[in-house]
Amino acid sequence: MKIFLWAECQKLRRLSLLLLTIFAVCGIAFMVFIGGKSTDYGPPYLEEAGWYMTMTQPWATLLVLPAVIALLGSYMICREAEDDTLKSLLLVPVSETRLTAAKMLLTFVFSILLYLLLFAITFLGEAILHIHALSTNMVLHFLKSYFLEGICVFLAVSPIIALVAYWKKSYWLALVLAEIYSFAGLFTSMSNTLRTFYPVSAALGIAGYYETTGLARIQSSLVLLACGGISVLILRKLKHGRDE
Amino acid sequence: MLKLIQTEFWKLRRKSLFWLMLLTALLMPFFAVIYFRSFGKTDLDPLLFYKWSAFGYTVFMILPFILGIVCTILMHEENQAHVLKQLWIIPIPKTACFFSKFFIVLMYSFCFMLITAAASVLFGIASGCAPFQWESILFLLKKCLEIAVLSACSILPILAAAVSQKGYVLPVCIILLYIFFGFFILPVNLYVHPIASLSAILAREGKIPGLTLTQTISVPWALLCIGIWGTASVFFATISLKRKG
Repeated sequence: MKIFLWAECQKLRRLSLLLLTIFAVCGIAFMVFIGGKSTDYGPPYLEEAGWYMTMTQPWATLLVLPAVIALLGSYMICREAEDDTLKSLLLVPVSETRLTAAKMLLTFVFSILLYLLLFAITFLGEAILHIHALSTNMVLHFLKSYFLEGICVFLAVSPIIALVAYWKKSYWLALVLAEIYSFAGLFTSMSNTLRTFYPVSAALGIAGYYETTGLARIQSSLVLLACGGISVLILRKLKHGRDE
Repeated sequence: MLKLIQTEFWKLRRKSLFWLMLLTALLMPFFAVIYFRSFGKTDLDPLLFYKWSAFGYTVFMILPFILGIVCTILMHEENQAHVLKQLWIIPIPKTACFFSKFFIVLMYSFCFMLITAAASVLFGIASGCAPFQWESILFLLKKCLEIAVLSACSILPILAAAVSQKGYVLPVCIILLYIFFGFFILPVNLYVHPIASLSAILAREGKIPGLTLTQTISVPWALLCIGIWGTASVFFATISLKRKG
């Protein structure tokens, strides 16, 4: 598995998508910052300590990052078939399941790193605006929240990435599905029950964006683990399909 | 030009995802029903229901996203199959090629908004949320056609970005940021981003309940914003295509 991860990391260095996802994260942070300057409904939102870190997280999760993470994962998987390198890899021989697992693992790490980068940018913004109003507890709370969000969002979108691996070359569909899937979270967040069971809003609940009960958190965690389980099942089916 | 457009339509027959994406037009009417039913609200002002089903997130998020994907698919598949090279050999004017793609986007936008309008009326009546009213339906239809044209024009920068790139990754990232930027710039300045300007044009009569903008609405400024972005995009796309040729 180590060698798979090493090889994937080597490939990633040449991947322009990596830079683009970082650019997307910086873009989100910049745009929420611009939105926070609005004075239409009273003083600018940015004047309130913690507003920037609080608001960037759900908007990034509901509108941009799940699609970006799904695109990154599906692109890494689809490019082998698209660039015609899969045939050579299978000749080596390389286990396709292990290869896909390595790609999924990297996407998982990348998902966490993207959220941590978003945290770093928003924290920097908050520190520049009002460093004295920030407490260590508050910063640590947000760090934990963003970290958990990175893990949970990956679990939430993992079935889509796995489905793409199964279908091959359907990365467009993955992107559209991931965007609709995350966008629907806007509406499921309005209902307490749906918020707990819908993976995207469940991720926000576990991360601590919503105030939830312990039971709801357990239920949300189970839903996200089920998402992870579904993606494992799909990946296993991928292997069986090859064996047949 | 007409032949180019006809060829573009022929090519679409092979793109199943292209047609499947039209189903997303049902998304907001469906969510609007869920939203109002979850609060136990029925027999609403039809315009309030249509604001949710057709004039809200459909305009700011769903339609621009789908049109952006359409633009990227149209250009990416041409690049991937090296069709553009063959088109330049014929030769075909580069701007004509760009506008034939834009025409497809415009038609797609019309289809999308007509489906949204039809679904809004049907879902509204079937769920009991919005009673049947000719006046409201005609208003919905008029606004949907307006949104279709303006959205297609607002998405020109994405089409230009897709034209300038061989891959699909950058245009896709740009779509997400472009929409996100439009959404967040809305309360700050209406005349910086085409999607924000679109909402200013949409809310100009003040008839849509809940769609109130705190800034002064100026339709000429909004049109100017969309026009500047559109012209710059056409200019940029023409240069990119010339470089490619």
